[in-house]
Amino acid sequence: MNMHAAKAQASSRGLPGGALVNKAVACLIALTVSASVASVALAADAPAAAPAAPATALATPMATATAPAHNATPFWREVRKTDQGITTIKGAETGTLVQMEGNAWRHLRNGPVTLWGGLLLLAMTVTVLGFHAWKGQLRLSSPATGKRVTRFTAGERVVHNTVAGSFVLLALGGLLLLFGKHLLVPVLGHTLVAFMLQILKPVHNFLGLVFVVALLIMIVMWAKDNLWAAADAEWIGRAGGLLDRSHVPSWRFNFGEKTWFWFGVTILGLTVSVSGLLLDFPAILELRAKLQIANLVHGIGALLMMFLALGHIYMGTIGVEGALEAMKTGDVDETWAREHHELWYQQVSGKGK
Amino acid sequence: MARMKFLCDSDRCIECNGCVTACKNEHETPWGISRRRVVTLGDGLPGEKSVSVACMHCSDAPCMAVCPTDCFYRTDEGVVLHDKDQCIGCGYCFYACPFGAPQFPQTGNFGMRGKMDKCTFCAGGPEKDGSAEEKKKYGNNRLAEGKLPLCAEMCSTKALLAGDADVISEIFRERALHRGKGGELWGWKQAYGKDGAPVAKAVKEEKK
Repeated sequence: MNMHAAKAQASSRGLPGGALVNKAVACLIALTVSASVASVALAADAPAAAPAAPATALATPMATATAPAHNATPFWREVRKTDQGITTIKGAETGTLVQMEGNAWRHLRNGPVTLWGGLLLLAMTVTVLGFHAWKGQLRLSSPATGKRVTRFTAGERVVHNTVAGSFVLLALGGLLLLFGKHLLVPVLGHTLVAFMLQILKPVHNFLGLVFVVALLIMIVMWAKDNLWAAADAEWIGRAGGLLDRSHVPSWRFNFGEKTWFWFGVTILGLTVSVSGLLLDFPAILELRAKLQIANLVHGIGALLMMFLALGHIYMGTIGVEGALEAMKTGDVDETWAREHHELWYQQVSGKGK
Repeated sequence: MARMKFLCDSDRCIECNGCVTACKNEHETPWGISRRRVVTLGDGLPGEKSVSVACMHCSDAPCMAVCPTDCFYRTDEGVVLHDKDQCIGCGYCFYACPFGAPQFPQTGNFGMRGKMDKCTFCAGGPEKDGSAEEKKKYGNNRLAEGKLPLCAEMCSTKALLAGDADVISEIFRERALHRGKGGELWGWKQAYGKDGAPVAKAVKEEKK
């Protein structure tokens, strides 16, 4: 009714489209039809009031014994945030005439999340590539001995690579959902991007389960080796030897890896897992407002995880010589073990300094 | 060019759900999908009001803004339509829409919602006007036949108006004028009148 009128008027006046809902609501107040019954009810409430008084008399909108006055500001405020209406159409929230949270979700998602998320990933990519161009690959300083030390068991590699593989596919789907419209549609066109998403969306929704299970196993599997050790203080003090290319002794995982493990894998990984599972089973949340929050948490968590993952993937592939080999074959050269994880090497090989 | 709009006069809507039924029948929408619904506010209380609501064909449509595949488009007449071939069923339009217009044929887990369906203002979809594919996916294209949406055409009390915004807002304005209320801000006169019968008085004044 009134919002229809408001919108009809807004468009016929040629108002700009932005903040449409707010504008429509503002117009509502101006255009709303008053109910004569409610008028009488209000007259009974405040018969001798001054002209300004009706506004205060209207302050109790929905909870009164009579239906509210329909052109009252508080009434429409209530309409916008409650589901007090009834309808014969079955389904969640069908009695809600207007849900306002969608507007906030839209502007957060299309605004800061898209912009800052995109800039964050771009900045990390540029940083990593710039660093590589500047410092090059971190190579072994002594020749390889040819003796191999087992770094990851077959089980560990399967778990890690399941997490890694599913993560990459999940990230691709997520990135395409958020940025595809802006970056790929102008290049590839609507049909192709829609086709890719039609495949990636179900893949994303089902593969998420695989990711969650493998992630939980990985967290349990490596938590102990990622606990704080005294050697980590030295690693922090020397910035991991990243800049001066020195060897900082560390246990099985250095502090950089531990940071990624706790912040990236554990905290952010569990965040996207829980929010993702809730989105997979929308009946749990039911209300749109909750789904919107889950969606934002999922998106922001995933963007931060990708941000950190770019660093991890760089170090694990082209950044450090022998790192990819360790995850591929499960073992590393003795020299690699000594130069990168000296304390761990001494522990597993039984050799002292 | 006309700018198409819906307008529901809640002083006339009697919650008969004729518009809902007309829409479902005209477009043979799938089981569980109702492109239009009537919401009653303050049900059973004096002054209860009913509003028929569907897609409002917004000027700055939130569904269009959040769609990851950008499958929405606006016709020259301001009708917001979408391409089901490009819909991935992510549900984002449903999150964003203030009116709950986007509907999904399935409620399965893992986002298995199927293709979104919503009111087309009886204007079909991107397929050829009046084609079999268009009818199958979006229902009848009455606008292409020079007809207005069936929900409004069928409305027994003419509460639901559909058509050019200028025309229907003029109709509504005239109604408000005759009633002596509506279309203006709340004020002392509208609330109480001088003799306690504001409507009768306004009508009397109008006749003079």
